[in-house]
Amino acid sequence: MELFQNYPVDSRVWDEMYNQDKVRHHYQHVYDFLANISSDELSKKEELARRLFMSQGITFTVYSSGEGIEKIFPFDIIPRIITAAEWSLIERGIKQRLNALNLFLKDVYHEQFILKDGVVPPELVYSCPHFLREMQGVNVPHDIYVHIAGIDLIRDHDGTFYVLEDNLRTPSGVSYMIENREITKRIFPDLIPQNFVRPVTQYPTILHRNLQELSPRHTSSPNVVLLTPGIYNSAYFEHTTLARLMGIELVEGRDLVVENHKVYMKTTAGLQQVDVIYRRVDDDFLDPLVFNPESTLGVSGLLSAYRKGNVAIVNSIGNGVADDKAIYVYVPDMIRYYLNEEPILKNVPTYRLDKPDEREEVLKNINKMVVKKTNESGGYGMLMGHAATEEEIIAYKKEILKDPRQFIAQPIISLSSSPCYINGKAQPRRIDLRPFALCGPSGIEIVAGGLTRVALREGSLVVNSSQGGGSKDTWVLAK
Amino acid sequence: MLSRVADSLYWMSRYMERTDSILRILIMNHQSSQDNPEEFSWRPMLKIFSDLEEEAITAMEKNGRQVLHYMVIDRENPSSVFNMVVHSRENARAVQDNITKELWQSLNEFYHCVRDSQLESSLRTEDPITVLDSLIRQCMVFYGVSDSTMFRGEGLCFMNLGKYLERVVQTASILEVKFKDKESEIEMTSDTTYWKYLLMSISGYALYLKRYRSGFEARNVVDQVLFNVDFPHSVLYSLNQVHRHFGRLKSDHNVEGHARIDNLIGKIRSKVQYSDVASVSRTGMHNYLTEINGDINDIGSALNQYYFAYS
Repeated sequence: MELFQNYPVDSRVWDEMYNQDKVRHHYQHVYDFLANISSDELSKKEELARRLFMSQGITFTVYSSGEGIEKIFPFDIIPRIITAAEWSLIERGIKQRLNALNLFLKDVYHEQFILKDGVVPPELVYSCPHFLREMQGVNVPHDIYVHIAGIDLIRDHDGTFYVLEDNLRTPSGVSYMIENREITKRIFPDLIPQNFVRPVTQYPTILHRNLQELSPRHTSSPNVVLLTPGIYNSAYFEHTTLARLMGIELVEGRDLVVENHKVYMKTTAGLQQVDVIYRRVDDDFLDPLVFNPESTLGVSGLLSAYRKGNVAIVNSIGNGVADDKAIYVYVPDMIRYYLNEEPILKNVPTYRLDKPDEREEVLKNINKMVVKKTNESGGYGMLMGHAATEEEIIAYKKEILKDPRQFIAQPIISLSSSPCYINGKAQPRRIDLRPFALCGPSGIEIVAGGLTRVALREGSLVVNSSQGGGSKDTWVLAK
Repeated sequence: MLSRVADSLYWMSRYMERTDSILRILIMNHQSSQDNPEEFSWRPMLKIFSDLEEEAITAMEKNGRQVLHYMVIDRENPSSVFNMVVHSRENARAVQDNITKELWQSLNEFYHCVRDSQLESSLRTEDPITVLDSLIRQCMVFYGVSDSTMFRGEGLCFMNLGKYLERVVQTASILEVKFKDKESEIEMTSDTTYWKYLLMSISGYALYLKRYRSGFEARNVVDQVLFNVDFPHSVLYSLNQVHRHFGRLKSDHNVEGHARIDNLIGKIRSKVQYSDVASVSRTGMHNYLTEINGDINDIGSALNQYYFAYS
């Protein structure tokens, strides 16, 4: 049928569905199903998906001149499928990595053994803008710093999974994981049970349980809230969705007040104490008395309540030192150091540009490199060496030389591709995977699935939504 | 519930009630303008329901289409229907998790409707009553959806408080248009067609005909609009609703605040309950309406102080 006709398979790229010209075993069922749907019907399915997204309000709002324009995060209807065996590796690898990262954070904010033993260079830690001296010596509940992690994975040309980066502060996208699944159930009814796809709906339940277990007050119903920057934040939809699915109150900084180092919510019945804050506000804006004094999104005195152990904050403050892209280089060493194990998931080879010999190597070969700022996100501040113009490269080199500590470089990885329904035909587009790991007092749980992000522009390797990315429903097969 | 949420629900309702009211006033005035073009002027309405300067009013007072444009979709007019709907919807957006999905969707649809460029051209070229009616219909959907889907909790109490307090203010303003000049007495205002359209705009015409068979006398219209407890747009009915919904907020928390506001509501309710057309005549209509407005303002401030204060 025309959908998959002339699907261009590139021998240098790992395609999720095709192994050269044969359909991979775990995609066979979906392939057969899709190949037998007329192109009319498929485009109706796509339209249905779009309508469902709009009418259910699964949009993010772009504000321009005081008016809000609702946009949908582009969704591709063809699911991305992961085998049980592949997932088992991913799951073990992420658990191991997250354990090591939590131990690192505990260590770096207390005894700093890993620095004293010369495994991680101290100057790298201390020059990281997200290493917060205010957190030094602060004990956090259960020694858990990262409760919610988004570990980004990619596959190289031979199908091996690599960790591209860790997101340990306020990772987002989980609401799309949940909503994409719901939409897929509507447009392709029965397909999911037929393929024995593992569910993703338990994410909010697990998270809610973990949040409650962190409460410093041992009451039967701790007061858990989700702190949002407000309706003008582009991820506001995710905040309302999560609050709704967990049945917790959605609050803004101005709803909270700290009195006697305890945090309270302003309600119509007076002040009500808050036990756990799942905050989607960045560290710098959390407490104007301690961090950015111009912030109106935070709560004055929040850090003092946290330090006294009167409120739990998820994710903890100061995690940015562990997801700094230069510190990322040392995560495999952290796994060996703290756990005495070999890393299950490998890092992408990374050059630290503050080291002269590595910098020279990179600048010589910049056309084959991706250069990134160590503390940016959203795909901003990146240089794709193979696609940039001469001027862009010259300008970027200048930036590097001004402050090399702020940059790392990686060889351009050939991200895996996956068939996407574009203009009535299946076309390969590059993807990544962000599984969401939840770490609580009872252990680490990773919901089987995650967010598969797609670089929708042909030939693009950049999957971030702000740069024209979209997403797919992600299936992990039970067998 | 969060003070901020209560505040937003209250204002979402007030803005919607205000929208409904403006639309009805516009219909009523438009109909009057068609019957009596020589004598009719949009001035009295503009003076009460807009902040326009004298000059601007003079320029517009005979131009129905221009007034309609200004009052319905002019984004520069802070009191236009457009802005009222936007405010209502933005308030709802901030508290989406406290209203039903259906209610959010109905507001969202109203919002997209007023933003549609089609509306502007319809206002310019089509029969105004058709256009205004279709907008009023959106308000009706909002009321219907609130009533049938909203959970009977604190949130709905604040919504109803906002709605009925605003209704008192709007009804008083509608009457004020005629009685703005302190000198006009109830007896002297015998503009029959005006009263007829006023009653029609607030769905009170049929009721009036059944009750006061003796033709259109201003005193009877005032009686119905101020004092009739069974007429949903009357001031007394609205005050009774305010009392009822506020009573449901009584709890073991916020005892002092509740008592203070209950007291204020009780006072204004009694004032209206125990007046009649004759006593209002003696006070002077304009003074009476000004007092009512002042009392409602006090209630609003007290609500801010005891329930909504979060900044």
